[in-house]
Amino acid sequence: MTVKDVAMKRRWGMAIDLDKCIGCGQCAVACSQENNMPIFEDDSDVPKRVAFLELMKVTNDRDAKFPDVRTAFIPKMCQMCEGNDPANPDPPCVSVCPVVATDVGDDGVVSQIWSRCIGCRYCQAACPYEARVFNWWKPRYEGSFKNSLNSDVSISSRGTIVKCTFCSHKWKQARDKAVAEGNLDINAPVYKTACQTACPVGAIVFGDLDEAGSELAELVASDRAVRLTNSIDDLPEDKQKAFLKVKQFPNPKVYYLTSQSWLRDMMRFKKNS
Amino acid sequence: MKKIERKDFLKISGGVLAGGLTGWVFSGAPFLGFQMSVEWTQDQHVPPKGLEKFVSAVNDACPNGCDVTVRKIGERALQLKSDKGLCPSCQVSLQLLYHPERITSPLKRVGSKGSGKFEPVTWDQALKEIASRINTLSSEGKSNSIAVINKDESISAIMLDKFISASGSKNVYYESGIKSVTTPVLDGYVDYDFNNTDYILSFGSRLIEGWGDIPAMRQSYINWKKKGVKLVHADTVSTRTASSADKWLPIKAGTEAVLAFGIANYFITAKRLNSSGAEFGRWAQMIINSYPLARTATLTGLSEDQIKETAEEFLKAKNPIAVAGKGGIGISTSSAEILAVYCLNSLVKTRAASIKRNSAITYKAEFNGLDAFIKDGEINMLFLNNSNPVFKSVLGDELKKKMDKAFVVSLNPIMNDSANYADYILPSMTYFETGAAESKPVVNPYKESMDARDIIISLSGMVDKTKNLFPFAKGINADSLAGKVTATDGRFSFNIEKVKGSIETLEKKIAQNNEFPLTLVPLEIPMVGDGDGLAFPYVLKTIDPGFFFKGKLLVQINRETGKRFGLSNNTPIVLQSARGKLGKVYVRLTDTVAPDTIAIPLGFGHESYTRYGNKKGVNPKTIMSSEVDQLTGTADWWSTRVKIS
Repeated sequence: MTVKDVAMKRRWGMAIDLDKCIGCGQCAVACSQENNMPIFEDDSDVPKRVAFLELMKVTNDRDAKFPDVRTAFIPKMCQMCEGNDPANPDPPCVSVCPVVATDVGDDGVVSQIWSRCIGCRYCQAACPYEARVFNWWKPRYEGSFKNSLNSDVSISSRGTIVKCTFCSHKWKQARDKAVAEGNLDINAPVYKTACQTACPVGAIVFGDLDEAGSELAELVASDRAVRLTNSIDDLPEDKQKAFLKVKQFPNPKVYYLTSQSWLRDMMRFKKNS
Repeated sequence: MKKIERKDFLKISGGVLAGGLTGWVFSGAPFLGFQMSVEWTQDQHVPPKGLEKFVSAVNDACPNGCDVTVRKIGERALQLKSDKGLCPSCQVSLQLLYHPERITSPLKRVGSKGSGKFEPVTWDQALKEIASRINTLSSEGKSNSIAVINKDESISAIMLDKFISASGSKNVYYESGIKSVTTPVLDGYVDYDFNNTDYILSFGSRLIEGWGDIPAMRQSYINWKKKGVKLVHADTVSTRTASSADKWLPIKAGTEAVLAFGIANYFITAKRLNSSGAEFGRWAQMIINSYPLARTATLTGLSEDQIKETAEEFLKAKNPIAVAGKGGIGISTSSAEILAVYCLNSLVKTRAASIKRNSAITYKAEFNGLDAFIKDGEINMLFLNNSNPVFKSVLGDELKKKMDKAFVVSLNPIMNDSANYADYILPSMTYFETGAAESKPVVNPYKESMDARDIIISLSGMVDKTKNLFPFAKGINADSLAGKVTATDGRFSFNIEKVKGSIETLEKKIAQNNEFPLTLVPLEIPMVGDGDGLAFPYVLKTIDPGFFFKGKLLVQINRETGKRFGLSNNTPIVLQSARGKLGKVYVRLTDTVAPDTIAIPLGFGHESYTRYGNKKGVNPKTIMSSEVDQLTGTADWWSTRVKIS
């Protein structure tokens, strides 16, 4: 058997438990460390910030008064949309790219090739989640910070779009390792993303959405699962079918888990009930 | 007009061309073009590849003792992971290791203190002068004026403690943490068994936001969720701990201790419970007289039923714990509060909270705590072990004045606000470079930096009184100095005379105050904590724009309150307390904060904490209340009465 003979069965997805999340921000730091985020003198300056994972602090203080207010954190990265048909994925960002710098792999990961990007930013405009960032400046790594750069992730240049790739370089490593050990089944290796590894409370679960009986599959199917502003999720099933025929929906593969109604409503842009 | 000959025409065009070329060359344009083409084609930094290795390291400088696995490529350390989870400071430790502003060699001050002018000197020269200063003070009989301020309870702190104590000083202090503040009150610190409790009543302790042993607390938090342990949290701000608690008691700012008094009163009067602490009778009488349920309810803003219900739940639980110590990484509390909260534990005779002591760290010094020492202590010489009291203590400005006259030595890997006032800065290593007894260093030492433990051994060898103090030559063998933790006999005293002052201060803070109608409380934001995180760019990337945006520090003010004072979002205001004014803060109206309260993020406003940490916001500690508690020796800066001026 050679690697080419086997069909890819993986469909990577993620579930983030917002009720467990303590908002420590360590996922964001680990992500920056893993993915060679540029270092500018003032990274607290939000409009200029380049980061794949944004730690959003949210509250329901527009609708509720003290002390009925609650606070939560949403770690937000690329939501890995797959469009209406998972078998034929079509995320909003991919179809607009004029140079095929971004594409969906057969593993469901929306990829981005930094060096192929021409910086037109169509994908950034198309992304419903603001998950893509543009290098307005040449990414710099002042002085000795260069020493901790990850050699598995290439450095982007000025004028390109970068984004979260579910740390897919780690998956490639896992596959290489498996092949070196004689295991040619491309579906065998599994890996952990940097944010998942760093999460001290295990709020981030990453895995294959198609793997029946896995922790992720169970979480995604639970009532607590909710996706960021995927408007079709709220409609009854017959209406969903009708809509799917006429319109593309992002249909992200990142799920959030929460039983708090205010948070669910906020994530779906619904007025607080 | 003369006809232009062909020859002249050629001459003129030649001249124009030559002139143009010369001008173009001197304009710098070709060089700029060349530089740009280099940037686009050549200057793409490619991280060097190498052999991948995973090595383990223990952060002995971390109070949580984080175990990490470091991923190395060649000689470079790239990523960290840990099975038990890392604490925030260990998570960013790679940015400390490779910080471009690491101190390269021992530095001697050349400008005036605080000017930041230093020149490199040799280790020999630095250590000799420091040792001779100690010897001189010792021979003059002034060894007690040599003081130490440790950051935390690490091995190097224990060594410095031993060294300075052996030199004849009683002035060894730790930056205020929950253990150091509790010990003078209860004659030990409270060891909470978070894994075997079924009910937690937290008095402002933001348990999941950095309180106590961070990785262990997070593991416990997961277990609480699984086991259905009830967490009840009293807080003035909708923090993450408040939101993930099973019940949030939204109390008025600074009234955590009053709530504890009220519940104690209910236990004593309605349930006839008794505490084993000495002088309980007098204390109980004071509580019965001053904090009946009705008054507690008015002061805390809770209803009587809410307090009763909480008390009943606490009483019914099998192994409940009441936790004192407001805040996350930066802790603030008062002796009255510690006593009252521990009293609840002793009243219900819980088995999940006991008083413990560490044999190596007694926290016993000339003054009860760091702030009392800063206020009244005499300093001729001061050692700072990775600590930053100038920034973190509310009496930082007073300490600066004292440091101006004293000889100050600071051990730290990167510059901080306090080291800026030092005479000598000794560059210490990070845990990647020191290694431990059982594991090799992860990377080679950075330039001339030295293991803090080795610095202390070298120094002690040069001081007359301490020549043979340490039985080992290398710092990595110092683990044997780690103290043993033992339970005390559990006896404590209610010490009514000594907590009186603390209760008076509390009453003053929560009383009606027309001059200062608002209350300022602190807030810690992820990764920044009480300020240590701000030197690291990857931490800056996590800061929420609702707290700090484009160089502006935003204070969180309740909507109604903001309306009353005519405030609108993003307008600059000046906060004024009895201590002084704090300008350059901006308004953010949000209902996450209680009415009449202003929540201000801690950790900003560094004077000198690398180019990443500098010039970002303001430090609220400069106006926070600084009345030193007689028993804890530390100021309870948690709530401060302020006005908007």
